[in-house]
Amino acid sequence: MDTVLFTPKEAPLFNSNQQRNVKEAMEMQSINQPQNSHTSTSISSDSIELPSASGKWAPRLLMECARAISENDSGKIHLLLWRLNELASPYGDCDQKLASYFLQALFCKATDSGQRCYETLTAVAEKRHSFDSARKLILKFQEVSPWMTFGHVASNGAILEALEGETKLHIIDISNTLCTQWPILLEALATRNDETPHLKLTVVDTASTVRSVVMNEVGQRMQKFARLMGVPFEFNVISGLNHLGELTKEGLGVQEDEAIAVNFIGALRKVEVEERGVVIRMFQSLRPRVVTVVEEEADFSSSRDDFVKCFEECLKFYTLYFQMLEESFYPTSNDRLTLERECSRNIVRVLACDDGNGTEGDSERRERGTQWSERLKEAFSPVGFSDDVMDDVKSLLKRYRAGWGLLLPQGDHESGIHLTWKEEPLVWASAWKP
Amino acid sequence: MLEKMAEEAHPNILIDESTIRPGSNPPVAKKKRNLPGTPDPEAEVIALSPKTLMATNRFLCEICGKGFQRDQNLQLHRRGHNLPWKLKQRTSKEPRKRVYVCPEKACVHHHPSRALGDLTGIKKHFCRKHGEKKWKCEKCSKRYAVQSDWKAHSKTCGTREYKCDCGTVFSRRDSFVTHRAFCDALAEETARVKAVSNMNTSVVGNINCHFMGTPQGNSIPQNFPSIFKPISSSEDTMINPTTRGLSLWIGHGSQGQETMVNNNLQGIHQLGPLCSGETFADPLVSCSNMSPSDYHQNWVFGTKLSSSNAEELTSTSLPLIDVKEAGTQLLSIPSLYETQHQSNQTPSANMSATALLQKAAQIGSTSTDPPFLGSFRFKCNNDSRVQDGNKLCGPYGSNSILSNLGKDAEKTAGDLFQIHPAKRRHAENEDGAGGETRDFLGVGTVQPICHPSSFNGWI
Repeated sequence: MDTVLFTPKEAPLFNSNQQRNVKEAMEMQSINQPQNSHTSTSISSDSIELPSASGKWAPRLLMECARAISENDSGKIHLLLWRLNELASPYGDCDQKLASYFLQALFCKATDSGQRCYETLTAVAEKRHSFDSARKLILKFQEVSPWMTFGHVASNGAILEALEGETKLHIIDISNTLCTQWPILLEALATRNDETPHLKLTVVDTASTVRSVVMNEVGQRMQKFARLMGVPFEFNVISGLNHLGELTKEGLGVQEDEAIAVNFIGALRKVEVEERGVVIRMFQSLRPRVVTVVEEEADFSSSRDDFVKCFEECLKFYTLYFQMLEESFYPTSNDRLTLERECSRNIVRVLACDDGNGTEGDSERRERGTQWSERLKEAFSPVGFSDDVMDDVKSLLKRYRAGWGLLLPQGDHESGIHLTWKEEPLVWASAWKP
Repeated sequence: MLEKMAEEAHPNILIDESTIRPGSNPPVAKKKRNLPGTPDPEAEVIALSPKTLMATNRFLCEICGKGFQRDQNLQLHRRGHNLPWKLKQRTSKEPRKRVYVCPEKACVHHHPSRALGDLTGIKKHFCRKHGEKKWKCEKCSKRYAVQSDWKAHSKTCGTREYKCDCGTVFSRRDSFVTHRAFCDALAEETARVKAVSNMNTSVVGNINCHFMGTPQGNSIPQNFPSIFKPISSSEDTMINPTTRGLSLWIGHGSQGQETMVNNNLQGIHQLGPLCSGETFADPLVSCSNMSPSDYHQNWVFGTKLSSSNAEELTSTSLPLIDVKEAGTQLLSIPSLYETQHQSNQTPSANMSATALLQKAAQIGSTSTDPPFLGSFRFKCNNDSRVQDGNKLCGPYGSNSILSNLGKDAEKTAGDLFQIHPAKRRHAENEDGAGGETRDFLGVGTVQPICHPSSFNGWI
């Protein structure tokens, strides 16, 4: 019986675990042995197709493997993992990349080492991150793709309109975009016809990677820029939270005479699924004038008990994402590689880690716009984007390469707009009021 | 003093003329182009209602009643009627020079002393400032009230390039703005300016001026492109509790004024003071790069739209602006300024300041805007100074009077202002208690003139 089938390509990540995991795999196999009627070799010839030269082998193999894992079919698992490993590469084409990153998650799932793997990946990413690299990455991404800027433009438009005429603004920003949303807003505030209001920006830093150094630097830049724009500005960072539910009105520095806007960009999905209602209600208690929510359109939540289904959703979403990255960036771009690696962490987190086990505040279980809407409707009522904002979004999309589109809400029960790529909705942006 | 608004007896009546002579009656001089908003004193002031103003066919043919937008068009049309020679002549009455006031009551140009001399000009002004923005650029969705502005913008939209100080060029404004906010050049500017500064005056405070220019010379005042120059203050400069801020711009002011009108900020935003006359200006600059006249002018135009009434200026008390010597680069941004507490001002400084102001007021641009004070801005830092910031904001937040403003500003301005948390400007606190509030003229007690609403901008 083959025991060592693996020589994972990403050696550093697997080294420490390799021995142990292989042993575990062996044990798994031997435990299952009596129940299996086949040997691993016969399985291979019967039920698994050889990977053909045609494309799309990756989704197929990956799904097979996912099913095998959910069925606990260790022989199959083993073989598929091996096959995938042979074909995958984080430096290849889309299929190869997807294979590589999902393979990692599958492996972790099969060997129950998701948590460890995730922590390792996080530590590695933290080491690599610095203000300069993060800034460069984000700005580049925004330049080549409207993925982030879509949400920014829609949210800024909604915020500006809701806070029109107010003089003391307080924006609570819970996002992962390093304040790149705000320069445009500051400029808009500065160029309003009437007096420039005072803006207080409170940023809640929930990223699991250590970001306090980075946020400090971001804060300084924001302050300088606000000064440049002539906007009275105050900047606060709240960090060290475990999860958003810990925030309080006092903790956020909310004052009575302020007009509050809460801005969630990719933030609600970080809350553990069961706690999302609580968190939303907490923000409702702040009585904001407007709440903007931007999330990626995918459902990893309702299927969280069904591994295969969740895996399928995940694969679908990230396939689109990777394809989008490939077409947006220059082929040999390092920035794209970095973004892809970030995905790998998220994939492991969703697929291979148990909820509630890990550090809180880093759940990656996305929900679709309709799902978020249902949650938000319990505390807020939807606000449509005005024509002006829609025009802004449309002209934003025109500035990028072809393929991007806008999907308006279809029925009365839907709210928010979607950013589509090749007709597939990928990002959802919405605005809410009390 | 303003005459009543024109009534329309019936739609075809154009004007209800009232004559007011704002000034004395000198002989009619050779026609010269006045600076916008400062009308010829002997001109006839005309107040039109918004409806009349926007009416498109003001010139009517007496023969057939057809309406035309322009007098020349009407004349051409009249020729077609084959009038006998006598009637061909225009009425011989030599029309007095006419100036127009803006019908919007809250507008600076509502007052006859700030009337505009050109009918087309007042129409455009009214549209821009008080009208609905019906025209929209396809590419960047910027909105305009005046069609000619929109057309002018559309021609250049997307063709203009934005160049950051770091050398990167952008074709899109939003990416430029975002980049600029995070650019290292912003930080480097601070360092470089410090080194380069050659301030002569012993000004120490910090003037943070933000300057914004418009890409099109005569674009609407409120469309600012991003400009920037970072505001910077040098860390090592101490605030000398002497004449500084005031002397700074007094000194500069006396160097004469060029109208900034001619400066045009072209597409490329570069270091250096660029200011398009109509749009604004603001605070003063103590930068070596800036020409003195620029800032003095900028200083005067506290508002975004740059002009303010001389009256308003003198009556408002503004905390003085300290300029840090080493090198603050100043950008004049219309509504920006950071005021730094100014401690002592010499009497002589006061005098020239007044003169300066009056001169500056004459240079005011066409646009009208919220009172000067409204453009003051304080920045509250997020560090431990926040408390002070709140203190400062307090008076403004409550519609209190300028006198409070002056005093508190002096006390806390020093605290408020910091570029980097680590740097501390010297608190002119020790001086702040010095009793009487000083306005920027150093004149002593402040006369609250501005509406409370003008303080909104403070906070």
